[in-house]
Amino acid sequence: MSYEDRANARPNLNDESDNEEEAMVNDYREQVNFDDGMSELDQTMSHGASQAHDLQAQLAAAATPLEYQATLETKFASYDNYCSLFHYILNSDGPVDLEVPNYYWAWEVIDEFIYQFESFCRYRNRVACTGSNEEESQLLRENPNTWGCYSVLNVLYSLIQRSQISEQLNATKRGEDPMAVAGEYGSRPLYKMLGYFSIIGLLRVHCLLGDFSLALKILDDVEMNKKAMFARVMAAHFTTYYYVGFSYMMMRRYGDAIRMFSHILVYVSRTKNFQKGGNNYEAIAKKNDQMYALIAICVALHPTRLDDTIHSAVREKYGEQFYRMQKGGPEALPVFEELFRSSCPKFINPTPPDFDNPASNVDPVDHHTAIFMDEVKNTLFNPTIRSYLKLYTTMDLKKLAGFLEVSPEQLRSWLLVNKQRSRQIRWVDGGLLDGEPAIANDLDYALEDDLIHVSETKAGRRLVDWYLRNLARVY
Amino acid sequence: MVAFDKCETRPAHIEAILNGLDRYNPETTTVFQDYVALQCEDRTFDCYANLALLKLFQFNPHLIQPDTVTNILAKALTVFPSPAFSLCLALLPTSTQPFPTTSEAQSASQTSDFVESVQKLTRLSTLLESAQYAQFWSTLNSDDLYADLTADVAGFEELVRIRIAVEVGNTFRSITAENLESWLDVRSRDALNKFVVDVCGWKVDGDVIRVPTNKENEARSEVKSEHVGIEQFGRVIRRGFELPA
Repeated sequence: MSYEDRANARPNLNDESDNEEEAMVNDYREQVNFDDGMSELDQTMSHGASQAHDLQAQLAAAATPLEYQATLETKFASYDNYCSLFHYILNSDGPVDLEVPNYYWAWEVIDEFIYQFESFCRYRNRVACTGSNEEESQLLRENPNTWGCYSVLNVLYSLIQRSQISEQLNATKRGEDPMAVAGEYGSRPLYKMLGYFSIIGLLRVHCLLGDFSLALKILDDVEMNKKAMFARVMAAHFTTYYYVGFSYMMMRRYGDAIRMFSHILVYVSRTKNFQKGGNNYEAIAKKNDQMYALIAICVALHPTRLDDTIHSAVREKYGEQFYRMQKGGPEALPVFEELFRSSCPKFINPTPPDFDNPASNVDPVDHHTAIFMDEVKNTLFNPTIRSYLKLYTTMDLKKLAGFLEVSPEQLRSWLLVNKQRSRQIRWVDGGLLDGEPAIANDLDYALEDDLIHVSETKAGRRLVDWYLRNLARVY
Repeated sequence: MVAFDKCETRPAHIEAILNGLDRYNPETTTVFQDYVALQCEDRTFDCYANLALLKLFQFNPHLIQPDTVTNILAKALTVFPSPAFSLCLALLPTSTQPFPTTSEAQSASQTSDFVESVQKLTRLSTLLESAQYAQFWSTLNSDDLYADLTADVAGFEELVRIRIAVEVGNTFRSITAENLESWLDVRSRDALNKFVVDVCGWKVDGDVIRVPTNKENEARSEVKSEHVGIEQFGRVIRRGFELPA
């Protein structure tokens, strides 16, 4: 949208300031030859001094994505824009009196803020890795604190503290009136919403930095259900479950990860049509596919009966890969890696890379993929073991080793690994990090010397679901 | 079961730092470092606090103390099987490349001591997590560097041995002494017998070690029936009332 359109679309500004703006913008345009689309943010920057009357534009800019090809200068400017905006909101004398558009806006501001942090870090790493652009390297080297992790965390934690959102959420949990503890700031929608979405923002930032336990810990005060505030904004709802599920997965709590992914995917599949045509439908569709891939990985590592809708969707989208991962063995490795890479968050390095040694900068995605793949390799033969043991009630270890063409010693290791991995921590209640150990597998066994005793927990027929579905059809 | 972010042996001042914004304050690194040293001495382990220290290092790479990092990793080895080790790796600088490809391993002469240490400890972790205990011990004993890396952790071998014994107890009702000897790296049959009787409370029966039945190694079959609650039928019943008769 060009500047003129935007100005016209804003009836709340009087003509005087409009003219003033116009003059400043023209002035600015002469100095820097930006094209129209990109100049949007710089305009707001140029008004940094006369902030008060152009705040609406700044608020709008904060929730607007940067152009894909934005220059480094634009990225720096955008950072300054966020800094001045958050500084104004957090450090004015008393709460700022602002009419906030809606929940959606508050989410977009935090979301875009973190997205720009993420893409800036990745861009910086790429510049250092290729070592081709001297000018940009120099600029990045001289500004190590722009989009620094400390300033980003500072903004998010400050918004949380100012809004007393944790206290408010806890009060709600206890069934008390949150307004009683909200304080001067937190009682205003602006602060409450920004504070709340900052919690979700922190979940995401910690996950991007590879701190999965802290990511889950951050959500201690947030209730994970459809009544939660995040559920009012589709993108926020979605993001929350994606990052919580992913963090569980990296903590090897696959059962909990599957529960999270399933919850949101079922919800989306039921409300599929209302989002179509929305401006972030594409982004949601992409995340949707990523979560199906992650669910396929989790189920392969931790066999679970999925909800019927989810199961058929996984088979439809990733049928071949799903089958190969469930089968296990060395052929499954590349599939695990490919799906993990395409569905994991875009991990970042919080600190500036080493510009002098391009080769020493490893992509954080590679780092986390390698860590995850180590666990996949360690458990690669679990499906094989399970598929054989299912057939017997007792089995001689040496005989089975013969079938599998491995040494008895190797088979003992596999049996130990499979047994260990079938025990997992599972959430029961309380914080997301709480949980009880649970036997996650219907197949169990114990060894008496070289004799494997196999036992199976059989699930009785599940009739209720079938009955209800058919009832709904005919009645 | 204690939640991941809790630890029974955690002192109050560490708890306070972890729950506040001081967990990001670079000045607290020394407090956390002392705490790591304490864990090494008194054989306790606090994964959540150690991750907070690694995060401080992640944010302030100039503060990294290689010895503290390797001590944290060595401590994490003593709680296998657990995601603790990989959660620690996730916060290390990516340049440590814990899982070098073969070509990278060949050029190992160029890598720093720190990188080499991390890679060596990671190798041990992989062996423990994949239950290759005999290879774990032979690797551990193959290079003096391993002894240096685990020297600060009081009772490192003992702690690992006990963990292995617990895993064996969960899967086996009885196991040959020969097998267990190689998994626990005990040199003589007498030492083995003493360990399994005194530490594990198991029985020795000639060349076979018998593990008393416990919850994990009994492997009982059962049929889990479906749990049916009235609330599942809520919608149907409601519809029954809504529809005109």
